[in-house]
Amino acid sequence: MDAALNALFEILSFGAIIVLVVLGLGIIASMMGIFNFAHGEFVLLGAYTTYLFYSWGLPVWLGMLAAPFVLALIGLVLERLAIRRFYAVPIVAMLGTYALGIIIRETVRMLIGGLYVSIPAPLVASLVIGGVQLPEWRIAILVITALVMAGSYLLLTRTSFGLRMRAALENPALARASGISTDRIYAISFAFGSALAGLAGALVVPIFSLFADLGLRFLIQGFLAVMLGGVGTFVGPVAGAGIIGVLSAALPWAISPVLADVLVFVIAIVIVKFRPGGLISRGRV
Amino acid sequence: MGDKPRQSSCAAALSRRRFLQSTAWTAGAVATGIGSWVIPAPWANAAAPPIKVGIATDLTGAIGYAGNADANVARMLVKDINAAGGVIGRPLELYIEDTASNESVAVPNVQKLIQRDHVDVVLGGITSSMRNAIKDTIVKRGKTLYIYPQLYEGKECESYIYCTGPTPAQQCDEFIPWLIKNGGKRFAFPSANYIWPHVLNAYARKVVEASGGEVVFEEYYPLDQIDYSATVSKIMNEKIDVVFNTVIPPGVGPFFKQLYEAGFSKRGGRLSCVYYDENTLNINEPYEIEGLASCLDYFRAVDKTDPVSARIQAEYEKEFPGKILLAAGSAATGMYRGIKLWAAAVTEAKSVKREEVAAALDHAKISEAPGGPAEMVPGHRHCKMRMYIAVAKGGNYEIEWKSEGLLDPKEC
Repeated sequence: MDAALNALFEILSFGAIIVLVVLGLGIIASMMGIFNFAHGEFVLLGAYTTYLFYSWGLPVWLGMLAAPFVLALIGLVLERLAIRRFYAVPIVAMLGTYALGIIIRETVRMLIGGLYVSIPAPLVASLVIGGVQLPEWRIAILVITALVMAGSYLLLTRTSFGLRMRAALENPALARASGISTDRIYAISFAFGSALAGLAGALVVPIFSLFADLGLRFLIQGFLAVMLGGVGTFVGPVAGAGIIGVLSAALPWAISPVLADVLVFVIAIVIVKFRPGGLISRGRV
Repeated sequence: MGDKPRQSSCAAALSRRRFLQSTAWTAGAVATGIGSWVIPAPWANAAAPPIKVGIATDLTGAIGYAGNADANVARMLVKDINAAGGVIGRPLELYIEDTASNESVAVPNVQKLIQRDHVDVVLGGITSSMRNAIKDTIVKRGKTLYIYPQLYEGKECESYIYCTGPTPAQQCDEFIPWLIKNGGKRFAFPSANYIWPHVLNAYARKVVEASGGEVVFEEYYPLDQIDYSATVSKIMNEKIDVVFNTVIPPGVGPFFKQLYEAGFSKRGGRLSCVYYDENTLNINEPYEIEGLASCLDYFRAVDKTDPVSARIQAEYEKEFPGKILLAAGSAATGMYRGIKLWAAAVTEAKSVKREEVAAALDHAKISEAPGGPAEMVPGHRHCKMRMYIAVAKGGNYEIEWKSEGLLDPKEC
C-alpha cells in the first residue's frame, strides 16, 4: 500500500513537472502556429534567474517569483526583435528559435563555467503519510501546476483578452478587421508563453540543479507532448504532456529504464499514427 | 491577410541570403582553425627547434569544465618546463585543439594536430568514446604517441597508447572492501548506459563478491534520465547498504536528491561514486550527499599532508583563478602525470622519435605530481599511482584512507 502510494505520488509529481514545462510551449505553438525551439532555453533562463537571486544572497522564492516576469520581458523583447519576422515562415521560425536556443544555452554554460549548481528548495521538509515520504517541494509543484493550468484555462476562455487571443489565432485577417491588434496579441501571447517557461524553470531547478543542458531534455519531451496532444487547442498539449510525463515516470517501475525510454516514444508514435491530428485536434480552446 | 505575409517572405528571402553569406563565412573560419590555440616556444633556434606538444581536449560543450582544466594544466607545465630550459635543450611549443565534447567535431581537429602541425605527442580525450574516436587518427594513421589522462574502464591495450588515469583495479580493489566495512554488504549498481559503467561494474562486481558482499541489482539508465523514483524505491525496499553509483550528470543530481529525500542516508546507507571530485560536489546541497565516498588519485584535502600537491595546487590557482579546478575527475591530474612522464621519457631517450620515446616511456617515473609520485608499469602502458578514499563532509572531502605505496593498475 505504502509502495503504491509512493509510486503514485512520484509519477504524478513528474507528470506535473512535464505539464508545467509544456504549458508555455503548447500555448505558443497553438496560439501562434510556431514551434519555439528555444523553449527549453527559456526554462533554463527561468532557472538561471532563480540562481542569480540566490547567488546575490536573496531568498530563493523571490527569484522564483521574479523569473516569470524576467522571462516575459525577455520574451517580449525577442518577439519584437526576431520572432515576429518568423510568423509567415514556420520552418524558418524553427531554425531561428533553435539558433536562439543555442546562443542562450552556450551563454549560460559560459556564465556558470559549464558546471552543475545546486539551488536549495524553499521547502525542504517532507510530509510523512503512513510510511511514505512526500517531499513538500514536490507537493508545492503539483499544487502550483494545477493553479497555473486552471488560471491559463480561465484566461483563455473567460476573459476578453482570451477571446481576442483565440480570434487572432482562428482568423487573423478578420480579427484585424474587427479592430484587434494581432501584432500586440502575438507579442503578449509570446511573452505569456515565455513567462510560463520561466516559472517552470524556476520551480524545477531545486530538483534537477542548474546546468546548461537543463532545457534540452524537456524540449524533446515537450515536443512529443505537443505532437501527441495536437496543435491548435489549449487542452491538447496539456493532455499530451500529462500522458508523456506519467508514462516516462511510470514505465521504469515496470520495465528496464532503457527500454522504457524507447517505449515512451513508440507509444506516442502509435497514438499519433491513429490520431494524426493529435489527441484533441478540434475544439474551441 | 493584408500585406504582412509578403513583407515577411521578403524579409525571409533576405535573411536566407544573409544566412548563406554568414554560413560561408563561418565555414571558412572553421576550416582555417577556430578552436585552435598555439602557444609558441619562448625561444628557438636552428640547433634547437621547438618540440611540439599537442593537446586535444573538450574546451567547449558538455564537459568543457574538465577540458579547460586539462588545457590549463598543460599550459602551466609547459611554461614551467620552458622556464627550466626545456627538454633536451629544446623548448616546448603547445598546440591546443578543441574536441568540443563531440566526436565528429573532434576527429578533424585532431587531424589538424597530426597533419598540419606535425606534433610529436598528443595528450587528451576525456570520455572513452572520445578516446576511441581519435586514437586511430593519432596512433595508426598519424604514427604519433598518444597519452590518455582520464580515469576509465581499462582494457586499452594498443601499442603507443599510454594511460595515466586510474583503472578499475586502482579504484575498486581497496575501495570496495572499505565500503563493505563502512557501509554494508548489500550493493546496488545504478548506472548510466554506456561503456564505462558497464565495464567498471563487471570488475566491481567481482571485487564485491570476492570480498563477501553481494550485488542486489545492477541497472542501466538512459544518459539523460532525470527522474529516478523507481530506482530509489527499489534501493529502499531491497534494504541496500551501499549505492555504488555510475549515473553521470545531469541525472546524478536529482538521483542523489531523491535518494536523500527517501531517507537512504538517514537509514545508514552509504553513497559511493568513483568519479566524484571537487567539481561534482556542487551538484547537490552538502547535506544531500553527506557521507558520500569516492576513491581517486587526488583530492584537495591531500594538500594538508602532502606539500608537493599543495605547491602544485597553489601554483595552478595563482595562474588560473576561478571556477576551472585542478581536480582528479576532470583528468587534470592524469594530464599532469602524462606531460611529466612524457618529458622524463624524452629526456632519457634524448630524442622525440616515437619508437625511442615509447621505449623510455615504458618505464618512466616521476617523483612529483598531484597526489604523489607515479611510474609506468613496464610493458603495460598504464600508470602506478597513490590512491585515496575520501568522504564528503559538509561540502568538503576528508581523507579516510591512503594507499601505502603506489597501487598497480593491473591492466594489459
